[in-house]
Amino acid sequence: MISDNLVELHGLTVAFDGVKVLHGIDLTVRRGEAIGLVGESGCGKSVTWLAALGLLPGKATVAGSVRVDGQEILGGPRTVLESVRGKRIAMIFQDPSSSLNPVICIGRQITEALVIHRALTGKAAKAEALRLMDMVGIPDARRRFDLFPHEFSGGQCQRLMIAMALAGEPDLLVADEPTTALDATIQAQILDLLIELRKETGMATIFISHDLGAVSQVCERACVMYAGRIVEQGTIAALFDNPRHPYTRGLFDAIPRLDGPRERLIPIPGTVPHPRDLPEGCAFSPRCSHAAADCRSGRPNLSAMDDGRLLSCFHPVGHPAGLMQAAESRIQEAVS
Amino acid sequence: MIAPSANAALIEAKDLVRTYEVRQGMFGKATPVRAVDGINLTVMPGETLGVVGESGSGKSTLGRMLLGIDSPQEGETFFDGKPMPKLGTPEWRALRARMQLVYQDPLAALDRRLTVAEQIGEPLAIHKLVPKEHRAIRVAELMVSVGLRPDQADRYPHELSGGQRQRVVIARALASRPKLLVCDEPVSALDVSIQAQVVNMLRDLQEKNGIAMVFISHDLKVVRNMADRVAVMYLGRIVEEASSDVIFAAPLHPYTKALVSSVPVPGKPLKGRTILQGEPPNPANRPSGCAFHPRCPLATDICRTSVPHLRQVADGRTAACHLLAGADQPVAA
Repeated sequence: MISDNLVELHGLTVAFDGVKVLHGIDLTVRRGEAIGLVGESGCGKSVTWLAALGLLPGKATVAGSVRVDGQEILGGPRTVLESVRGKRIAMIFQDPSSSLNPVICIGRQITEALVIHRALTGKAAKAEALRLMDMVGIPDARRRFDLFPHEFSGGQCQRLMIAMALAGEPDLLVADEPTTALDATIQAQILDLLIELRKETGMATIFISHDLGAVSQVCERACVMYAGRIVEQGTIAALFDNPRHPYTRGLFDAIPRLDGPRERLIPIPGTVPHPRDLPEGCAFSPRCSHAAADCRSGRPNLSAMDDGRLLSCFHPVGHPAGLMQAAESRIQEAVS
Repeated sequence: MIAPSANAALIEAKDLVRTYEVRQGMFGKATPVRAVDGINLTVMPGETLGVVGESGSGKSTLGRMLLGIDSPQEGETFFDGKPMPKLGTPEWRALRARMQLVYQDPLAALDRRLTVAEQIGEPLAIHKLVPKEHRAIRVAELMVSVGLRPDQADRYPHELSGGQRQRVVIARALASRPKLLVCDEPVSALDVSIQAQVVNMLRDLQEKNGIAMVFISHDLKVVRNMADRVAVMYLGRIVEEASSDVIFAAPLHPYTKALVSSVPVPGKPLKGRTILQGEPPNPANRPSGCAFHPRCPLATDICRTSVPHLRQVADGRTAACHLLAGADQPVAA
């Protein structure tokens, strides 16, 4: 029987030159689900997946376990990794124009992926490449097959990157800030494309972004990361309606609004600490308005709450699940 | 010098046009591209004008022309009622102390071999504003005003975080006590939490010093928060202008509608939103009639043939669209 879990990260840690930047990530990706990873820059969102796919430079020390369909890929031989990378798990990055080879025509770059991952050659490969270009919404694919990356716009380059990622028919697409470099209207198109593709192919998606709005549109679940740890994880509805970790709440409060009164923004004071000098206790405590003495001495563990979310905080904000239900039932009673 | 009256514009642009020559290949024929195509705008002292639009809409070129860094081929800019001096002349250099520019990428805007204090102090030296012996005090003041600690004065740009670097750039821009600040995507490269810090700081500094600001950004949410008035640009032209309270709440031009609709709202699904098809057209190959018509869901025959002009559609609102009939008639959605 094939397990429901596609990818399992367990206790994944990464250190650069002895400085730990990722402190044990546990994350399970089920087949076909979309998970968002949010947090400020330098919180380890991208590093998590670069490490899992063995894409970090040699000076990085990666430990823990990364299982794809139960098979351990971390520290395994190169052949194991290559059978997963690009094939089972594909990754796209923020800046499409620097991910594409500027001196090779687009058609050949997509065909190359088909040759490597699907053993297609000649006419079959070209036909499949054209189909992929159509699928990601490149107009007039046949005529533009021999064009070079600079002849496409930024949004189209990102579409081409997605086409290349789809070439291996992956089970999981890791999209690392795929819309950050794009214009607003193009960003909406790419988000729409990612949602449609997931519907069509049934592949799981990891959506790494600092844009909570974009994450809520693409994903069902989200992990909030801070200083190399997951601090809150739950369904989009749970996180957005009732964020419990002060950091999650802070991220929401900092977003300027397009409706309602124009008020002063609520920033999170300070910055993400450098991995070299993490504060004692909870890493967020120096920036947290709810921090108490225990936050500065001990570190809260990521543990399950009653409503199914995972949370690592001694003094959470918002409403505990039980209270919410109690309040709702009270309202019900009062109405009836 | 006569003090300008209270209702005089600080900066006024009249029919600005900027054309670049673009060549296809090394020996190809040069084709003129109108990056900015007939822009009129005014900014009052202490006011913030937001300029939004996609890449290639000419918003950065417009910002540079307002400062005289890029000279327009047609039209004219007036600063404080006087025509903008030519680029590079001593008059222009003197005027530069009163108008400053903040770019998107602070690391590129800073000299990585100069300390923070040296960079912030440079305009004071160039414009001979503060004698050398008092410069350190003024630099420390400026650093505190943008939320930097004076003990960070000897740091180099690479030792600072992105938000701190942008603060250094802003402190340097404020050093000469400018009347006008043109901010070109000043917070786009920052995390949302840090972005909020910098936006709040800019608003405070503006209120305190009465600086007029032209705030160029593609991020509608930030612009709404910063600007009093907003101009929406598409392919080198302003297609709609209104106060920032009404333009985002009730956009009139179909392009503004699409822009507002494309902003992902946390917790709201994509469904029911207008997702524009296609991409912004190449300015070298401007569509006939209304430049937006190939992407416009409401385009009719007149849009394909005739260019709509910016005209008043409601009190204090202008828009360039054939489908907006006279005053206060919103386009049927």
